[in-house]
Amino acid sequence: MRKFFIIILFLAISLPAVFAEGNRDYMRETGKINVVVAVILVIFLGIVWYLLRLERKLTKLEHQIHDTHERKN
Amino acid sequence: MWWKTLSVVLIIYALLAGLLVPLKSGIQRVEPAYARTKQDVSIRFYGYNTFFAKPAAEPLRVWLYADENNALAARQIRPVNDTILEAVFTMPENLPGGKQSVYLNAIIDHPEAGAALLPAAVELRQDTGMVAMALDPAWMANPVQKLHVQTGFSFPYQNVIYESIRNTYFHVPMWFVLLFLFSASVWYSVKYLRQPLPENDRHAAAYAEAGLLFGVLGLVTGMVWANYTWGKPWSNDIKQLMTAVALLIYLAYFILRRSFDEYEKGARLAAVYNIFAFASLVPLLYIVPRMFASLHPGATGNPAFGSQDLDNTMRAVFYPAIIGWTLLGFWVANLRIRYQRLHDKVMDLEG
Amino acid sequence: MNWRSLIPLLHKEFLLEFRQRYAISGIVLYVFSMVFVVYIASIRVTPPVWNVLFWLIVLFASINAVVKSFVQESGARQLYYYQLADPVVLLLAKIIYNTLLLFVLSTLAFAAYSLVAGNPVKDWPLFGLVLVLGSLGFSIAFTFIASIAAKANNSATLMAILSFPVILPILLTLVRLSSIALRLIQDTSYTRDILNLLAIDVILITLTFVLFPFIWKD
Repeated sequence: MRKFFIIILFLAISLPAVFAEGNRDYMRETGKINVVVAVILVIFLGIVWYLLRLERKLTKLEHQIHDTHERKN
Repeated sequence: MWWKTLSVVLIIYALLAGLLVPLKSGIQRVEPAYARTKQDVSIRFYGYNTFFAKPAAEPLRVWLYADENNALAARQIRPVNDTILEAVFTMPENLPGGKQSVYLNAIIDHPEAGAALLPAAVELRQDTGMVAMALDPAWMANPVQKLHVQTGFSFPYQNVIYESIRNTYFHVPMWFVLLFLFSASVWYSVKYLRQPLPENDRHAAAYAEAGLLFGVLGLVTGMVWANYTWGKPWSNDIKQLMTAVALLIYLAYFILRRSFDEYEKGARLAAVYNIFAFASLVPLLYIVPRMFASLHPGATGNPAFGSQDLDNTMRAVFYPAIIGWTLLGFWVANLRIRYQRLHDKVMDLEG
Repeated sequence: MNWRSLIPLLHKEFLLEFRQRYAISGIVLYVFSMVFVVYIASIRVTPPVWNVLFWLIVLFASINAVVKSFVQESGARQLYYYQLADPVVLLLAKIIYNTLLLFVLSTLAFAAYSLVAGNPVKDWPLFGLVLVLGSLGFSIAFTFIASIAAKANNSATLMAILSFPVILPILLTLVRLSSIALRLIQDTSYTRDILNLLAIDVILITLTFVLFPFIWKD
């Protein structure tokens, strides 16, 4: 899960740079619409990152509950 | 539950409306930007989102105007394509008010797309020759009148910003979410001091954490946007500084919470610091504008948008977007609270 | 509130300082070393750089001077004081004492600093006023933060990170006012900055009085 996320993050950062190759200015083209795309992407990835962190904590807690339960039986 | 649904609906609305509604027509630039009196000048207008070549019921009209009373209408108009328009002007003999040079604003009026304006488009200079005393009547012959207004749903056009005006519905609400979440955090800190229940502390910490997340998002998206409109990612703007200091406060808040062995002590002192630091943030609103000029709209310490920056169509998307994102922020914080409640319970059981 | 205990408490602070002279000597040495570092590191100090460096020296010296006001007293002794006097009066005594201490320190820093880096001050009354107001603001904010940080184990680090965001409005105004005193910027309406500074002090001291009762009890 973590690796997957790092790959996504890497793509998100590097893709504009790939498109911007040559003299074309990817972010300033077509009325700077790609700035909006970048902003939405940053917000989305930020919230997903937070949820993933929360999920990892929850998984840990689940394991803990599971372990205690087994010990009792 | 209803507010989570509302949050999703409002954010989807903000995404769809914010991305699909077109911009109004605008004039990007004009060539040549200089002219002299007593000349026939052919000027090229470069439009954005314009339909110059599209046949319309009424003809296109083009003006260069100095003020309300003095305007020059184009003598001849020829659309090259949808975004380029050539218009020929006969420049009058002298300038209004006997000035040596005047900046003329350009207006292109389209019967369907409405009027587009470019301030200070052409500089008109007085020809050094014999200057007639009386103002040339050409200035008054064709006043700017009966402009068309676009009736459809559309966002204002602004040079330099262009389509990125849509960030108003994604970047700007982050600042509001941060404000609401941090206020909620302070509120629960006050509550904790009056009534030291773990539940109040859980709320304070979770709202601070979610506020931190949205603060970072607001700062990063702001830097991306600023880089392509203001030219550099950081410019000591009041809102940038306030957000940065607020983030520092809450990072310190979390370090303070974790530097005590006893839970109750950490929660109490962190609550005290939360209130103290949040209140000391307020004076920045009065101090920073005295040192650095703000680039944000509605500047000089006024945190709200000015009416000239936000028209009614934008408001119809902007306010729902704020509500939607704020509810999402509280949703995220709510998950964090529920996790912490469960975590504390399990730890209690294990002893 | 028993305000009569203020004077004995102030007296106690002075006495403590006098008995533990090594602590105050340490701070003075700290100021001198920082000034010396500035001297050997920069060949020519222009007035704008002078201004910023001076306030940085005062800032760090103040943090170090104030942090000891709670740390140096053991928990048991503090509890004893709290039973003898109203905690708020105790805090007020500490704030007054620290204000005097910081004023002496910043004057000392100014003297040493202008010896090695030159003295670009043009408006002496204003600069003196800025020093007084600076000592007052730093003292209020740092004393309160120190009372929080002293409860934790890693108080020196905590002190720095907790106080930075709180002190920023005061620091920015001080730098602005002193650059007016140095005639780096022309501004005749600097009374508003002074009022801002006083307003911040009032806000901070009110909060201090409201919140301190929650800190001292354990």
